[in-house]
Amino acid sequence: MKSYKSWLASGGVLALLAVAACTPGTGDDEDGEMVWAIGGSEAQPGGIHQRIAEMWSEQNPDNPIRIEVLPEAADQQREQQALELQAGGSGFDVLGVDVIWTGEYSENDWLESLEDVRAEIEAVTLPGPFESATWGGELWAAPYNSNAGFLYYRTDLVDTPPTTWEEMCEVATSAAEEEGIAGFVGQGARYEGFVVNWLEYYWSNGGELYNEDQTQVTFDTAAAAEVTEFMNENLDTCFAPGFNTAQEEEARNEFQGGNAVFMRNWPYAYALIEDDEGSPANGNFDVAPLPTFTGDGTISALGGFNNAVSAFSNNTEAAKDFVVWAATNEEVQTMLATEASLPPTMASVYDDPALAGDPVMALLGDVLGDARARPPSPAWNEISVEMQNNLFPAYNGDADINTAVENVRTFLEGTID
Amino acid sequence: MAETTVTPGRPTRSGNGGRGSPRPVRQGLSERALGKVFVSPSIILMAMVALFPVLYAFVLSLYLYTRRQPIGFGGIDNYVRALTDSRFWDSIQFTFIFTVTSVTAEFLIGLGFALLMNQAFRGRGVTRAAILIPWVIPTVIAAQMWFFMFNVTPGFINSVLGLGNFNWLGQSGWATFTVVFADVWKTAPFVALLLLAGLQTIPNDVYESARVDGAGMFARFWYVTLPLLKPAILVALLFRTVDALRVYDLPQVMTRGAFGTESLSMLVQQYVVRTPNPGYGAALSTLTFIVVLGIGIIFVRLLGRDLVIGSGVEGGRR
Amino acid sequence: MTSMTPTPTGSVQERALDTRAEELEREKRVLNRMNTLRMWGKTALLGVILFWCLFPFFWLIMTSLKQGDPALNDPNLFRGPFGLQNYVAVFQQDFHLNLRNSFVVAGMTTILCIAIGSLCAYAIARLPLKRKILLLSAVLAVSLFPPVALVPPLYEVWRTLGLLNTYEGLYLPYTAFTLPLTIFILTTFFASIPADLAEAAKVDGATPFQAFYRIIFPLAAPGVFAAAIIVFVLAWNEFLLASTFAPRNPEVAQTVPVAIAAFTGAVEFQRPIGTITAASVVVTIPMIIIALVFQRRIVAGLTAGGVKG
Repeated sequence: MKSYKSWLASGGVLALLAVAACTPGTGDDEDGEMVWAIGGSEAQPGGIHQRIAEMWSEQNPDNPIRIEVLPEAADQQREQQALELQAGGSGFDVLGVDVIWTGEYSENDWLESLEDVRAEIEAVTLPGPFESATWGGELWAAPYNSNAGFLYYRTDLVDTPPTTWEEMCEVATSAAEEEGIAGFVGQGARYEGFVVNWLEYYWSNGGELYNEDQTQVTFDTAAAAEVTEFMNENLDTCFAPGFNTAQEEEARNEFQGGNAVFMRNWPYAYALIEDDEGSPANGNFDVAPLPTFTGDGTISALGGFNNAVSAFSNNTEAAKDFVVWAATNEEVQTMLATEASLPPTMASVYDDPALAGDPVMALLGDVLGDARARPPSPAWNEISVEMQNNLFPAYNGDADINTAVENVRTFLEGTID
Repeated sequence: MAETTVTPGRPTRSGNGGRGSPRPVRQGLSERALGKVFVSPSIILMAMVALFPVLYAFVLSLYLYTRRQPIGFGGIDNYVRALTDSRFWDSIQFTFIFTVTSVTAEFLIGLGFALLMNQAFRGRGVTRAAILIPWVIPTVIAAQMWFFMFNVTPGFINSVLGLGNFNWLGQSGWATFTVVFADVWKTAPFVALLLLAGLQTIPNDVYESARVDGAGMFARFWYVTLPLLKPAILVALLFRTVDALRVYDLPQVMTRGAFGTESLSMLVQQYVVRTPNPGYGAALSTLTFIVVLGIGIIFVRLLGRDLVIGSGVEGGRR
Repeated sequence: MTSMTPTPTGSVQERALDTRAEELEREKRVLNRMNTLRMWGKTALLGVILFWCLFPFFWLIMTSLKQGDPALNDPNLFRGPFGLQNYVAVFQQDFHLNLRNSFVVAGMTTILCIAIGSLCAYAIARLPLKRKILLLSAVLAVSLFPPVALVPPLYEVWRTLGLLNTYEGLYLPYTAFTLPLTIFILTTFFASIPADLAEAAKVDGATPFQAFYRIIFPLAAPGVFAAAIIVFVLAWNEFLLASTFAPRNPEVAQTVPVAIAAFTGAVEFQRPIGTITAASVVVTIPMIIIALVFQRRIVAGLTAGGVKG
């Protein structure tokens, strides 16, 4: 009977919500301006992505582009893009997608196919980065910047860089003992970076995950067990203390602080160590291709970002033009290398004489050709989590190695339908 | 004995207007109606924000997905999958160990803090502020801070304690310890704050009469303070427990779930965000919800009598 | 002790009084020694507590002042060079706007929570309502669903309502999710206030509502302020919803924790530990002030009769 009073009260709250609802939200622009959703340091004001966006906007005043800066962490970038795309929102026109998201985004129909501009892009792009932008035989993104792992080593402690992982550990252990420091640091914490490091061991031991067109699992449990065993055996000797909690920055700190002989890391560490005059490694280090188990060649996992066109964009054609331009314009691609030390995906840039004096770009030119993409399968995130859950405890001695690699194989088989 | 000493501070049910036929109290609003009016804004706001997503999640949990692609109705399949997955039980185990150890330590330390803050001494103001600092630092930052302090590089705690390269975060057991430690450091002040407020409502004369009766310090604490503080303690424990059962940030940042530190919420997060499977993620959420609510309701029953004494009994009779 | 009223009339009594005085003297000395001991014990305990609470904060401050990798990666807190560059960098990133947003959002949440929640708590504690236990359980249940699972459906609703990147889009859900805690705390405190007081007020002609806000509400002040601090801090530090509903644009609604998570190093992968710690110090200081102010209200009753501190 008195419930009308309650309704009055609820009306108040409703009114509050209604007021809120009337506040215009930001988002859909109809004026031809495009939004590029990308994160990381280079998306910040003054970063290279911003300058490239400005360059495009100057040249294409009808379809200017501006950056929506996503968070620093890749997981959060993906989440923010996913929320918008899942809702079918047109807030983003161009998406900066990590090389491992391609399959997932295309499976969800979030991306505009780039098949009609495939030839243009394929002609100028390195094969590894190109592969990372395709899924199911179709091109879904335009390669933008790439990345590959290096072996950093101390030139004052090591004469020539090792060619096999075993040799690396022998040299590391003896040099480390003499100096009273640790041997090798890499990315050993339980996260995506560990999977990257593990795959580099595994691939360089002759292993593979899938066949060429990803229709069959070719996972080699023996090779997988060997490399996991290798990690386990060296955990307390060759590998630095804290290896199993180290990400990129922990590894760099260790090496830069003079506490390690060798380090597996991305090219970004080079300039930082070079700029640190207090570092014992400064002036005493160099980079080399990653070793293998067989002693032949080198293999690195590919990193980097591609630019994709959102399927919900109101500006598909202009967005497509933009991503093609960023992938194939020599000036843009060279800017990535010279002004931001981001490895370009365009092959010809590495032959540019302007880059010849840059040891990082020179080495990248050598190793990117042999670098391998993690399969950009829609299931990649699940595969990665499964590998972390099984292989991480196994190399730390908390789980049986053979069971762990069997589990990974079984899981991979489950991803093929 | 305690009960009789306590009476003055306790709500006693001296018959009020609610009994019998709702007596119209001025302005035509009975107390019963007033109760409804008072309750409704809260209920409506909470329902409007929370009801839809919770129901939505429950419905989702009945459907099967491959990643984000729906493949059909599955009934309880997702629940069966969760309950037969060892990862689910591992995370339940960690979550319970974490909850029991951290809440116990937080309660004891928080109670100690509160008793101290409740006293008059030189430097009291500074101490009160200092005690609250850990709690006002955003959790994500506190987690990163403890990661840096415990981690081998740069090895701050190791260098202070002279432990060399002890790998706190990189081995089973100690990894759990560090997460519990960081949580206790961070949240004991929350308990302290609630208990301090509780202590403030205990009238001084209750202590005085206990003192006159010859009760020592310990006896006063045991027979006067604790029983009177019971509602505040229960509320603090309730919210600490339900929060600890849903812990996410600390293990996520400090250990990323390695070495048996994967909590229930981390598992939920994985299936909602990292490797999205809306159906399974919703089922895991619902299971977490059931576990947490079950434990929460035990507390509510314990609390209930203190909170709704009197009128609750009357209401229950109808 | 108080019954001692010396009335010296005879020698026997005098002698007895002498011994009595001696006893008292001795007692006083013992008491004094005990007091000194207790004081030292208390000081030591205080020291330990302050160390426990403040040391990590001290680490935060020292780290925020360090410049360059060698200093930042050295476990030695006093390894320089030191400077204010990190703080300069923080404020160059529009951090003051984030602080403003956080103040608005946390402030609105606190006001709404206390205003709405105290009514509800009063009703549960003092007014005749049916099925209170069930009501309390339902209230509790609201806050217990894993928040991460609520985000995707809420995002879609917020999107449709245009609540993304608005203050309302943050403080409405914050209020909803912290109301349970508020209601529980306040109910506890309202229930601990003698019912006779409100009754007396009513006899004096006050309406139930007047009885509530004139008598009960002020008496429960410690609880109200405790709840207010707690709600404010929770809203101030919330990350998940804030990073989903207002992820970008400090001009609009991006809050402090989200802004800190968006800090980047100079190059990819580099972790900006210097700016992160500097920002943490910056956000913690207003919180300490607020906590101090509110706390004074919590312990107001005590200070009235207590020793100066």
